[in-house]
Amino acid sequence: MSIPKHHPDPAMLVEFSAGTLGTAQSICVAAHLHFCEHCRNEVLRLDQIGSQLLSQSEPESVDSNLFDSVMRKIDELPEEEEIKFEKEDLRFPLPVAKLFNKAEVVPEWKKMSSSVDVAQLVTGQSDYEVSLHKICAGGKTPKHSHSGKEYTVVLEGSFSDESSVYSEGDFILRKEGDEHQPMGAQNGECICLSALESPIKLSSPFGFLMKPWLRLNPM
Amino acid sequence: MLGTKITNFENKSKPSAKMGVLNSEKRSDQWSLLLVDVGLNRSRKSFAQLFAHFAPLLKSFAQASRHEGWFPGLSEDLVQEVMIKVWQKAAGYNPEKASATTWIYTVARNCRIDMLRRKSNTQHLPLENEDFWHEPDEETPVTLLRQKRSEAKVQASLAQLPPEQDEILRKVYLEGKSHAEASEELGLPLGTVKSRVRLALQKMQILVAPEFRDELL
Repeated sequence: MSIPKHHPDPAMLVEFSAGTLGTAQSICVAAHLHFCEHCRNEVLRLDQIGSQLLSQSEPESVDSNLFDSVMRKIDELPEEEEIKFEKEDLRFPLPVAKLFNKAEVVPEWKKMSSSVDVAQLVTGQSDYEVSLHKICAGGKTPKHSHSGKEYTVVLEGSFSDESSVYSEGDFILRKEGDEHQPMGAQNGECICLSALESPIKLSSPFGFLMKPWLRLNPM
Repeated sequence: MLGTKITNFENKSKPSAKMGVLNSEKRSDQWSLLLVDVGLNRSRKSFAQLFAHFAPLLKSFAQASRHEGWFPGLSEDLVQEVMIKVWQKAAGYNPEKASATTWIYTVARNCRIDMLRRKSNTQHLPLENEDFWHEPDEETPVTLLRQKRSEAKVQASLAQLPPEQDEILRKVYLEGKSHAEASEELGLPLGTVKSRVRLALQKMQILVAPEFRDELL
């Protein structure tokens, strides 16, 4: 596995560590962390800020029955059996894999163009459309511009565009107005996780004219 | 972090990593020892001590929250939920990776997000927040040493941050504000908020290679 070269900016990691990052972005950051030891360590260090602030908090006395109530609930807990995902099935990072229907280890792909398949993921929020894209080997995608933010994390294989080559774990942010033409690597298909800002969030009054290339049917 | 393993990663971890250096540098603070005891022996006595120490801190943490949809009445619910999780997950606590306080902070953060999500979601998210922190199980011999050094550094320098940097970190970590929300609230440009955070992180030596990071901002 190669070491990712493109990372989320530190502000995103701070929000991730503080728990204030949106669900869709958190999924993308989590997918990147799966591949990136460097950022994982950074998050571990960032967690210490929260830890310090917690330990320096002014203690607030709790209801005197709270402990008993917790113990009662603990006694009522079912036997500790954890339903774990079959490890062999984890082709993708856990937070991504868990978004598939449990029975369905491989996501359901739909053709988007001759070289791109897409599988939408349900994430319980509507700010971003979260999906997987699969670009076939050497597949060219149409040149397109972005009318909102788009986060992409490479999960398998690699692709390139005008500015760089992106491999497993790389985290890419495209902003409004960015234009590019991703191309799948020649040596195999490429699967990416992407979170695309929903059209409804667009601030531009002409946003609807720039029909996002990747737009799916809103959930 | 939570004691789960993914086999795909085992070939990546170094076989010698678990031995040696770590043994000479055990984590020995009171809370971490108690938490290990709860995990290993299901000790209720140790759990009661952890509860007595952490429940009031967690309540204070919960009351600091200014998340949309949060109200003070949820504070003890959060304390309760966190402490139950602590009991359930203690076996997965790895003292080499984090102090008990840091581990409990992450449990509290995740519980808080899950509670908020449960309240606000119309659609179901098949994830709990701790899934986002599911890490491949790999250990390097320097981890604990490095962690302890950085904990000490964070602790010492957090206390000495200029008030304007401290204020933003509190907003983000305790109140649960995004950078954008903090900038709006403080009437500061987003860039100023981000650069204050970055200065604070540099002081605490949290960003390992700032020169490498600079280009990303």
